[in-house]
Amino acid sequence: MLGKLMKYEWKATWKLLTAANLLTVVMTILAWCMIHAVEYSSDFRMVDFMAVMVILTYVLSMFVVYVGTAIYLIYRFYTSTYGDQGYLLHTLPVDTHHIIIAKTLVSAIWVGISVILMYLSVLVLFMSSGDAFFNMMEGMVDAIEFINGEEISVFMLVMTLIAGIFSIFARVLKIGACISLGQLSSNHKLMCSFGWYVGIYLVECVISGVYFVIRLAFEEFTSQGDYFPYFSTQWETTLLAGIVSCVAFYILTWYVMSRKLNLD
Amino acid sequence: MDMAPMVQCMGLTKTYGRKIALNQVYLNLERGRIIGLLGPNGSGKTTLIKIMNGLLRPTSGEVLINGQRPGIETKLRISYLPERTYLHPGMKVVEMVQYFQDFYPDFRLDRAYDMLARLQIPPQERLKNLSKGTKEKVQLILVMSRDADLYILDEPIAGVDPASRDYILNTIVSNYNRNGSILLSTHLISDVENILDEVVFIKYGNIVLQAGAEQIRQNEHKSVDQFFREVFAC
Repeated sequence: MLGKLMKYEWKATWKLLTAANLLTVVMTILAWCMIHAVEYSSDFRMVDFMAVMVILTYVLSMFVVYVGTAIYLIYRFYTSTYGDQGYLLHTLPVDTHHIIIAKTLVSAIWVGISVILMYLSVLVLFMSSGDAFFNMMEGMVDAIEFINGEEISVFMLVMTLIAGIFSIFARVLKIGACISLGQLSSNHKLMCSFGWYVGIYLVECVISGVYFVIRLAFEEFTSQGDYFPYFSTQWETTLLAGIVSCVAFYILTWYVMSRKLNLD
Repeated sequence: MDMAPMVQCMGLTKTYGRKIALNQVYLNLERGRIIGLLGPNGSGKTTLIKIMNGLLRPTSGEVLINGQRPGIETKLRISYLPERTYLHPGMKVVEMVQYFQDFYPDFRLDRAYDMLARLQIPPQERLKNLSKGTKEKVQLILVMSRDADLYILDEPIAGVDPASRDYILNTIVSNYNRNGSILLSTHLISDVENILDEVVFIKYGNIVLQAGAEQIRQNEHKSVDQFFREVFAC
């Protein structure tokens, strides 16, 4: 049943989100063309003006695509799970685990696609600047190695990638958990969901603050540079936080859906 | 397991804050019958139905469907028509039919297309392009195309015009699994009276009467509708 749930979740979301991601591709191509047009054009004032306009539109569209994807996925989760369509979803002969996994996987895939496309888009535009791009990348690598206090290895890159994937899942599950927890209230459920989100965010801030303080308390520092690794987001911390968050938010969502479901 | 009543409510209570929606409901519904769950608006009909379908959790008490608590097994046996539209508006009718076939092993594809053809509902049409009444008919067709043990229909005729009511009731009576039961909630008694074997009157969350429809007519010398008006007179 998991496969079927995923199939229909995908079918319900693919059109709008594919269009949004296509917008990223189109705007990237346009911005790339304008950057090159500036290099080869003789009418600098006109081309410069157009280039600025296109780049501004590009930045705006990136923002709209990213925020729009998030809002759409939140809306989709809410309406299909706790809105009218929830009456169908929760009367299907399927396991609650399958419902949560299907929705989480499809949402995470879409968030992943949006993020990858955005990174690629920025990379393509920066690469247009030739040597300057590679110099900037070298500088970035040096800075990261200095902050982390160790050289970047393939292992570190892979683990950072895995940690990033867990972070995406954690974010998706957090939204699901907050919407689900909001349903425990008898009134103003959406407002309560938002309240839960703010509350959980504050708890996360407190936990990460306490975590860094504890780590700092057990280390000896000889220079200011020694502090950097403890304030930078290392993959171990991100991975651990991602896994713990995924488990916690998954359990919360499952608990509400299977034990406390109350569709109005 | 099949010897257990189709539906068994034991001390079922549901409260919303201080408001009591269901108050210590004890109810047994037998198999092979068409049962009317009758009561005015706000009497607790929908609350009771949602609990049977696992969409609401009771505050206390328990409901058993065929001897089991609401869960995957009971959802395989119940075909539920809610009082609202639960179909994805962006999907085509044919996609919704496929959806039901994918998830319900007892779904009868031929029956669904036969009913759609008789009602002249184009399968390729998107649901968002259909009128509210037609969407409700599509929903009813999907629900009645299952060979379920229990059909729970929440206000199936409330939103349709009087001319369509007979068609809908005819669709229900001629398509349900004869070994199963129908629990039909409504406040439009006169429209459904003729198809009911049994009636359950619910008032302010309390079951005030459970009796055969014929029994009421014989004992009270009046129609179920007239008796209902008497019991629920303000």
